[in-house]
Amino acid sequence: MILTSANTLESKKILDYKGLVTGESLIGSNIYKDLFSGVRDVVAGRTSQYEEELEKARNIALKSMEEKAESLGANAIIGLKISYDNLGGTMGNTILVTAYGTAISYEENEL
Amino acid sequence: MNFREREVKLAYIKEAIECIAFGTAVGLGVYGFFLFFHIAIFGWNLGLIFAPLAAGYAETYMANRIIGEDIGAISAFILFIYTTFYSFILKNPTLGINIITIGSIAVILQAAFPTLINYILLVGGLGIVSYLLGIFSRITKFISNNIKKIYYRIVHNEEYQIKNETTPVFDEKKSNERINSQNFYYATTTDINTKRLRNIGQFHATAIIEKDKHLIHVDQEKAELITLNRLKEGKDECLIKLSENIKSAGGNGVLNLKIDYGLIGLGGDRYQITAMGMGICLK
Repeated sequence: MILTSANTLESKKILDYKGLVTGESLIGSNIYKDLFSGVRDVVAGRTSQYEEELEKARNIALKSMEEKAESLGANAIIGLKISYDNLGGTMGNTILVTAYGTAISYEENEL
Repeated sequence: MNFREREVKLAYIKEAIECIAFGTAVGLGVYGFFLFFHIAIFGWNLGLIFAPLAAGYAETYMANRIIGEDIGAISAFILFIYTTFYSFILKNPTLGINIITIGSIAVILQAAFPTLINYILLVGGLGIVSYLLGIFSRITKFISNNIKKIYYRIVHNEEYQIKNETTPVFDEKKSNERINSQNFYYATTTDINTKRLRNIGQFHATAIIEKDKHLIHVDQEKAELITLNRLKEGKDECLIKLSENIKSAGGNGVLNLKIDYGLIGLGGDRYQITAMGMGICLK
């Protein structure tokens, strides 16, 4: 499955636009993550716990989106957008990760 | 680490130390001022609160101006150590443990480490309560189920069937089919290469969802799953609204589609989902 944020696929012929595909994932509260990133925040530095959680959440969202594209018979997603939205929660620790794009099918042979 | 990186890091450390020194100096000045004028409540000097606060503020201000980022109010920590040592050990070693002392320590800690203490109170504290409630709930359910099992076996002479708790499920496949089976084109791209089209204008649609107001959940994961499912339902509702708006204007598709999530209402008590894009009529 090709994923691209571009409008089209270079040197490939798009056969059909299959529709919109989305994937979402939520990072909620976690005592370990929140407390330790809180400590790192006080003494300054990168909060790797959050980075790991965000990566996990992004992968879940992308996987969910890809599965939907496959079920529509697509073999690529173009116009891909990934966004991270803070949805409050206790001390702003709820983060929604969304991935969405346009599922298409393209001809495997190069143009 | 190459030479250039090391040089940059050393310059950063030097600037950070300068900011910490500045913050500490401001904090000591404020503490001296409060001590000199005996500004106190019930014999408890208010400099203990204001000195770390002033130190942290001065350091953060300097760090933002010089380095361009917050370095974590380390001078507040230094002031906290110094003022606590000076007031509680050096000047008043006989201070006993009582409500005033404990309250004072709590206030000093809050002033010196606002971020950490707020996290401990609001996230750690509530998280631990939720976790303990979850364990308590599982134990009571286990006891209750076993009592019911024994009761059914003795009184009704039959096995009691434990009702499994249902996990909230969002049917992703059904949602996907629902969105893509409306004879409507959704495209996140700015163009559909293979089609001839006519632009009919910019369109928006919004869905507002009430936020869960409970601070503590017995099952945190389940609560988060419910929130996520509600957001997904809201997104579907929003996309369908957008398609209906465009259809009513004579269109049959949307280009450059964007979906935004945010908070709205007093204290951000609702989720706002917005879908927007260029309405088009595909020929």
